[in-house]
Amino acid sequence: MALIENTEKVNYLNALREAIFEEFELNENFIAIGEDIGLLGGAFGVTDGLQARFGTDRVYDAPISEATIVGTACGLCLNGKRAMVEMQFIDFISCGFDQIVNMVATYHYRTAGEVSIPMVIRGPAGAYGGGALYHSQMNEAWFANSPGLKIVCPSTPADAKGLLKSALRDPNPVIFYEIKELYRKRQIEEPVERGDASLVPLGKAKVRREGSDVTIVTYGQNVYHCLDAANNLKAEGFEAEVIDLRTLVPLDKQTVIESMTKTNRLVVVNEAPRTCGFAGEVLANVAEEAFELLDAPPVRISRMDTPVPWAKPLEMHVLPSVESITEAALRTCRY
Amino acid sequence: MAKTDPARTTKERQSKAEKGAADPLPASLTKSDYQELLLQLYLARYFDVRLIKEKKRGRLRGTLYSSHNQEAILVGSLFGLRPTDWISPIHRDMPAFFLKDMRAGWSNPNRSGMSIEEVCGQVWGKVGSPGRARDNWSHIGSTKHKIIHSTSMLAGTIPAACGVVLADRLDGKDSVALTFNGEGSTAQGVFHEAINFASVHKLPVVTIVENNQWAFGTPAHLEYALEDFARRADGYGIPGLIADGQDVIDVYEKVSEAVAWARSGKGPSIVECKSFRAYGHGDHDDDRAAKYRPKDEVKAGRSRDPIGIMKEKMIELGYLSQKEAEKYPVEGKGANDLTDEDFPKQVVEYLAKGVEFAIASPVPPPEEGAMWVFREVE
Ligand SMILES: Cc1ncc(C[n+]2csc(CCOP(=O)(O)OP(=O)(O)O)c2C)c(N)n1
Ligand SMILES: [Mg+2]
Repeated sequence: MALIENTEKVNYLNALREAIFEEFELNENFIAIGEDIGLLGGAFGVTDGLQARFGTDRVYDAPISEATIVGTACGLCLNGKRAMVEMQFIDFISCGFDQIVNMVATYHYRTAGEVSIPMVIRGPAGAYGGGALYHSQMNEAWFANSPGLKIVCPSTPADAKGLLKSALRDPNPVIFYEIKELYRKRQIEEPVERGDASLVPLGKAKVRREGSDVTIVTYGQNVYHCLDAANNLKAEGFEAEVIDLRTLVPLDKQTVIESMTKTNRLVVVNEAPRTCGFAGEVLANVAEEAFELLDAPPVRISRMDTPVPWAKPLEMHVLPSVESITEAALRTCRY
Repeated sequence: MAKTDPARTTKERQSKAEKGAADPLPASLTKSDYQELLLQLYLARYFDVRLIKEKKRGRLRGTLYSSHNQEAILVGSLFGLRPTDWISPIHRDMPAFFLKDMRAGWSNPNRSGMSIEEVCGQVWGKVGSPGRARDNWSHIGSTKHKIIHSTSMLAGTIPAACGVVLADRLDGKDSVALTFNGEGSTAQGVFHEAINFASVHKLPVVTIVENNQWAFGTPAHLEYALEDFARRADGYGIPGLIADGQDVIDVYEKVSEAVAWARSGKGPSIVECKSFRAYGHGDHDDDRAAKYRPKDEVKAGRSRDPIGIMKEKMIELGYLSQKEAEKYPVEGKGANDLTDEDFPKQVVEYLAKGVEFAIASPVPPPEEGAMWVFREVE
């Protein structure tokens, strides 16, 4: 089955699509439910052709009812199926919040390990594209604060494919943040493996750039801002190590702390609001477990505690930028 | 199926059956069915009475949401189900867990319902609970017995009911799901969403509305603006049936009709069972409920006891003598006025086994509180 013409390089969106097609092919228990995912193939086309390939019994165009989409998927999983739910934008996940945190996330716990819900809830996320308040969110912290959910956010095509395949195979519910600004970004296209060779395990961070002066921890779209900031730092004589967490829950603390044994400095970047954002969680873990490694106060760079505004100057003002990351990292290095 | 008053008389059905016509309605009930139904009503009532007493003695944690006066809804709607059918009970439906598939034999270990031991294990908060006492009271379930695990979130399991029957349908099975809901919970957004979803996909989901007129401290007219809630069904293009929730036979017939409709692929329906909450919302609310509800409304609501109504029917049919009917005169009486002697021996002994098991079962070890957040990946 040739999904894409160019077998050399794959974009982030097609990598996701390949993961879904491969897993649906392998396991006929997979059911997909979401808004406009069948006939249309999804708002962005991630499920393009899925219904044509696997039929209306396995790919459902649901009414605009996020809570019931999640809850129905939960019932399917309760009765032997596996479910992939698409949120048209991850912002709308709030309409399904109760079903996710109270019904799905707790199932394994409240049945004393008897039932688990193999469900992936995925959807386009993230700012920097003029999506404004309701098409820009990164709301991963809500779910990180709800025990029982794994949280994944890939930044490259290979990770998008490999992590989504692992998420789809996981026996637990996974919230999967797809960065919509990366869906069709040419610069990040890369070759991806086929089949099991493409698998990327959940819970393992990846060092995107090696360096010995400061550790910059991030995920999602900010990975690229941090890599650019690292180039700026190089010009100033500092080598930054950039870590892409890839999975937030479970958190790969080890990779972060190992890096810090080398750098002794930490900057954490995420595009979610500052207060109770995931960056704060990473920072708190380091403070608790590796305090002695710190030669400078650790720093968080995040969105201001505001919604994401629409007009470009407003949006850029409240979000982390290459400049703000560079500046914070330099301060840390020079402390 | 007629949308307004689909009830057809037993006689009508019998004559039809004699003529050999295909009839989606269940076979008419026999004398022994009536006897079994009455016994189940006694059991549900006794369960409630016994737990109220245990609660008053301080032996149980949490809140008891009494199903007193509403037993006919549970007994009647479950009686016609197949073992392969699903249910999702709510806080007021504790007896549903053991009443499911009771026709297969109260103590039959293979029946598709929970044993009284499991249910008591749960109420006492012991390891013997199917959920090892991780969540309270009605928040248990069993995939084996096809009981969806409820949460506190009202109307929150109707989507899951859609999902389990959709899975069955994909696997070529014709199961039906019965969801139980208070009339207050019908105002939840997800109640609408899920029934809409079920009607779009013609899913075999029967929504039972236990209309006991009150949602905690709020009267029904502040939850919805319809004379008969069942009319809400019109908006989904599905049948809305009304049953007398005090009459176990009427509930049985209306729900069986809805179930037959669902099983034949015609889709979901709503069955509104009109009833009345005899006491407080929970046992913590009895005193306040006596104040926020008009006295004559309560008196009238309690006057139609489902056990008394069933006895009258049985006398009329010649299934029960006047003398037998007077043997266990529990109707109209509250827990304080009742003792074990007021109930049939079979009922008392059945529950005693459950209580004995629950008392002997250990409490869970503290470290289990931190377990089972995620399933380990091999
Ligand atoms: C989503 C949600 N909101 C509020 C509550 C608190 N609550 C529990 S029961 C109840 C009243 C329910 O009334 P009704 O649905 O009529 O059922 P009944 O108790 O009368 O059987 C309320 C408000 C809850 N459990 N879930
Ligand atoms: Mg009510």
